[in-house]
Amino acid sequence: MCLAVPGKIISIDATDPLMRTGKVNFGGIVKEINLAYVPEAEVGNYVIVHVGFAISIVDEDEANRVFEYLREMDELAELEDETSS
Amino acid sequence: MARQITIEPVTRAEGHGKVTIFLDDDGYVRDAQFHVTQIRGFEKFCEGRPFYEMPSLMARICGICPVSHLVASAKACDQLMAVQIPETAEYLRRVMNLAQLIQSHALSFFHLASPDFLLGLDSDPATRNIFGLMQSHPNIARDGIMLRKFGQQIIELLGGKRIHPGWIVPGGVSEPLSVDKRDTILAMLPEAMAAIQRTLDWFKRTFDQYPEEIRTFANFPSLFMGLTNDKGELVHYEGRLRFVDATGKIVADQIEAEDYQKYIGEAVEPYSFLKFPYYKPMGYPEGIYRVGPLARLNLINFVGTPLADAEWAEFRELGRGAVLSSFHYHCARLIEILNGIERIEHILNKSDILDKNVRAYADPNRLEGVGISEAPRGTLIHHYRINEDGIITYANLIIATGHNNLAMNRGVLQVAKHFVKGDQLQEGMLNRVEAVIRAYDPCLSCSTHAVGQMPLHVELVNRDGRVVDELTR
Repeated sequence: MCLAVPGKIISIDATDPLMRTGKVNFGGIVKEINLAYVPEAEVGNYVIVHVGFAISIVDEDEANRVFEYLREMDELAELEDETSS
Repeated sequence: MARQITIEPVTRAEGHGKVTIFLDDDGYVRDAQFHVTQIRGFEKFCEGRPFYEMPSLMARICGICPVSHLVASAKACDQLMAVQIPETAEYLRRVMNLAQLIQSHALSFFHLASPDFLLGLDSDPATRNIFGLMQSHPNIARDGIMLRKFGQQIIELLGGKRIHPGWIVPGGVSEPLSVDKRDTILAMLPEAMAAIQRTLDWFKRTFDQYPEEIRTFANFPSLFMGLTNDKGELVHYEGRLRFVDATGKIVADQIEAEDYQKYIGEAVEPYSFLKFPYYKPMGYPEGIYRVGPLARLNLINFVGTPLADAEWAEFRELGRGAVLSSFHYHCARLIEILNGIERIEHILNKSDILDKNVRAYADPNRLEGVGISEAPRGTLIHHYRINEDGIITYANLIIATGHNNLAMNRGVLQVAKHFVKGDQLQEGMLNRVEAVIRAYDPCLSCSTHAVGQMPLHVELVNRDGRVVDELTR
C-alpha cells in the first residue's frame, strides 16, 4: 500500500513553465519537486507527490485529515510492535 | 560520470524499494529479491469504522490513484447495501475511472518511463530524467502534460477540486452531470485524441531500437489477470475476473468478485511487507501472474472501440500468444489512453447521461462485500466484512502492485542475471533494474525522493551472506 503524504510548498522557481519546480516540505524533509502538472499551485499549498511530481493540490483541512490518519496508523503499528515483542 | 546519491532516512510511511541480489560460488546471480518497505497495519486501521466512510478514507490514504480506490471501495459498499446502482451512476463512475487511468498512464509513460528510452539507459542519471527530456523532446513532454491535465480536469469537473472526490459514494454518485460539464469535457476530447495518436505513431517506430531491452525486460511466461465482460471486451469498471496463460489461452473465466479467494492466495515473505498473491490452482510461487495494462490487453478478445482495436491488433503481433515482455507495458498504456478517450466520448453522448437519478440509498443488507475494479496499474480488490450496525470487522485489500509483486521479483532476477557478473554492481545495471520495476509503475509514492528517480537500494550478497557491493540512490 502506498501512502500519499501531502507536502507544503515553501518556494517556487517558475522561470520556465515546463520546468516549474518548487521546494516542498514533508514533515521536515525538504525536496525539489516538479510542479509542471499543477500550474495553479502557490507557495503555502499542500501537494500530493508521486515520484518527484506534484500530481494534485489538496487544501489544508484535507492535508490535516491525512496527517491525522497517518498518525493513527503509526500508533497502531507501534502498539503491534509492543505486543509482539 | 555516474553519481552515487544517498537518500535521507525517510519515514516509515514512505514506500521505497530495496533490491538484494544473491551470488553463487562462482559469482553468478542465484536469486534476487525486491523488497518494498511499506506501511503495515492498514487493514487493522479500517476495523471499527462505519462502512460508508471507506471510499473516502481509502481515497485519502492512497492519494496516488484516489479514484481507483473510490471505485473499488464503493463497489464493495454497493454489495453490502445489496443495491443495483442507477445505470447513469455506473456510467459516470466509469468516466471518472477512465479519467484517472488516462492521467496516471500519462505520468507513467511520459515522465517516468520515456526518459529511459529517449535519452538512453546508459546516459547520465543526472540528466536521464524529465528535465533532460523537456530540453531534448519538448513536444513529447508537452503532449504528456496535456494528457495528464485532460484526465485531471475531468476528475475535477465531476468530483470538485478536492483530492478525494467524495462524488463517488456507496450507492452511486452524489451529483448528476450538468450539460455544461458534459460539453466542457466533450470539447477537450479532440486535442487529447490528437496527442495520443501522435505519441503512438512515434513510439511504435522506436521499438527496433531496443531489441535487448525487449528481450530481457521481465520477458518470461506467466499468467495474466484482469477484468473482462462476458463478451471478452476491455473493461476497467465492470465485468468479472479472467486468467490467461502465456500462450493466451483462458485458464479461468468469469470469476465472480466474491469468489476471488478461491483463485488468489496471498503468501507472506519475511523480507517484504507487501504480500505475494498467487494463482491458487498452481500453488506458490509457481502461480505467478501479472496485472495491469499488459495483462488486460493480453486477456481480452477485443478492445471494443475502433481506433484502439486497430492498435491492439498490431500490439498482438508483438508476441506469439500473449505479449510477454514487460517492456510492452508502455505501449499497452498508450493504447489504453486511446481507448479511454474513445470510451469517454461514447459514454458522454449517451441520451440518459444527464439523468438526475444517480444514487440508491439503503442500510446494510449483507455482512460481506467484495468490490473489484481495474486501476491504472491493474486489478484492485476491496473486501469488507461488517457487523449488523455496519461497522467494519474485517478488511482485505489487494492492490495492483501486490499482484505484480512476484513478477517484479522475477523481472529483477532476470535483469540481474543478464547484467551482473562478478562481485560488482554497475550503474547501467542499476538503471535497468530500475527500468524493469518502473515498467510495472509500482505505486511507491516516494514523495521525498528526487524527481523521476525511484528510491532504490541494491545490495549484492555473496554465498556467505556478506554484502560485497551496494548502490543507493
